[in-house]
Amino acid sequence: MVGGTVGTLADDQLGLAAVRVLGADVLLPSVLTRRRPLPDDLAVFQRAVLTFAPGATSSETTVWSHWGMTQTLHRLDAPATGPGAGPDASWLEALEWPKLTHQLSILAALAVPGADSAVAQVAADRPVDVARGFVRAVRRRDWLQAAGAGRWLSVIDGVPETLGLDTGLEFVAQMAGADARVGLHVHAAQHIRAESAVNAVSAGGRG
Amino acid sequence: MSTPRTAHMVTEASRGGRESHASRVSRSALEWVRDHQDSFRLPDGEPALDADANWTLKPLGELAQLTFSIRAHSEPGSARHGHASELLGFAWDQTRQGGLFVDLLRGEPFATYPLEIYAAFAAAGLRHPGFEELAVTVQRTRGWERIEQEPNRRLGMLNSERRVGLPPSGDPSAALARTWLGGLPEPWTFERTAGYWLTHVVFHLTDWGNTPRLMPAELGGYLAAWVPAWLDTCLEAEQWDLSGELLAVAAILPDAASYTGLADAVETGWARIADIQDAAGGIPETGLGRPHEPARDFMHCYHSTLVAAFAATLADVRLAGVHPAAVQEGVA
Repeated sequence: MVGGTVGTLADDQLGLAAVRVLGADVLLPSVLTRRRPLPDDLAVFQRAVLTFAPGATSSETTVWSHWGMTQTLHRLDAPATGPGAGPDASWLEALEWPKLTHQLSILAALAVPGADSAVAQVAADRPVDVARGFVRAVRRRDWLQAAGAGRWLSVIDGVPETLGLDTGLEFVAQMAGADARVGLHVHAAQHIRAESAVNAVSAGGRG
Repeated sequence: MSTPRTAHMVTEASRGGRESHASRVSRSALEWVRDHQDSFRLPDGEPALDADANWTLKPLGELAQLTFSIRAHSEPGSARHGHASELLGFAWDQTRQGGLFVDLLRGEPFATYPLEIYAAFAAAGLRHPGFEELAVTVQRTRGWERIEQEPNRRLGMLNSERRVGLPPSGDPSAALARTWLGGLPEPWTFERTAGYWLTHVVFHLTDWGNTPRLMPAELGGYLAAWVPAWLDTCLEAEQWDLSGELLAVAAILPDAASYTGLADAVETGWARIADIQDAAGGIPETGLGRPHEPARDFMHCYHSTLVAAFAATLADVRLAGVHPAAVQEGVA
């Protein structure tokens, strides 16, 4: 977050709402580097989670986005925010690959290393479909969707080698120009891929 | 001539149930072609060469190529087989039973298109000894072997030589390796031009669906993974001719049923093509088509409609559970 700036607005509904809109990715740098965020940032994040709990009429993606925030707190060992069972994701399972990719892209904040949500399970079960969705998004010049799909592809196995994900991520980032949301997903994906490559090498070394 | 294996060929009666989109398109698109047979006629007098060939000889060559393939995938005695045979015979007559190809070759001995078009007739058993005599000599030269052309076209030349019975002027595997598709490129680098390259590589490699087993397994897996994504975006862009070609590729893939999601993508594709077809069976090359626009002229429809008739025939045979290998190959 922004070095406590948001923290000074801890009671400010506007600041909390802004954090809730941004969602779990507000703390993505901490999640990816496994470093605890500043306590003030964590506190604001936690307040946003508690203040904007989804209601009965909230959309599935809103429910999941909120759950993603609680999961992030859990990962960062914040108290009193146990992850609980994730919401229902069966609505995703039935979607054809273009719509599946679109929805997954909206939920790209859930694509983090070790993600074990039901949404992540759907993505893990359909790597070829998500890869097709990436291709479709690039063809349609929908760089945000491509970046979100690319981020999912960086956390699941079984993606066809011929996809060329690394070059694809570079391509998407450059074609999108200075789009911050695209940059976020692409950088997250690249970070995750670099890290899993390192892990694969060290695992191989131990073997 | 080999004995056609017809025991498993599809018939309307054996299929039962509601007619599939592919089956309906295969019938109605061929109807359109029959109704427009006169538009495929070559102009009187000297054969049109150079630029004009795109508007005269090219449609006729496509007519021969695709009706030959449709016939090869149809049960002898069926209406489809009969219609395709009549159209192929018409095209042959337009070439003065091959005499046209002798004229073309004398005019441009080192152009490849006379052989490429002739090869479809030769594969159907319609041959002209005078043409082949000159073609053999031309084809023996080092110059012929080194004609500079697009890699997919080189594969087409090799298939044409095979059909005519000429010694191959190159190695098909090496030719395949030089194509866009042969490099198994990142699927998101697909654009319209690459689409035509790749569909034609598949057509030439498998002799237009007659020998699907000639497709390397790795290539089959690659295509099964990515055709759904390409098809989806071509349909969205209203590129009906390229969509039809991709549907033909899908129908040629060996073991297509084993690939997740391919059958659904194909079904969606045929539903869209059927929807865009006008009442006479015509399909525009691009654009919304009859429900939203005035009917298009012959030049704007012939290619998409012929391709759809070809692709839908392959798909229809596939849907009926006939393995492509069981289809009679190259039978006149």
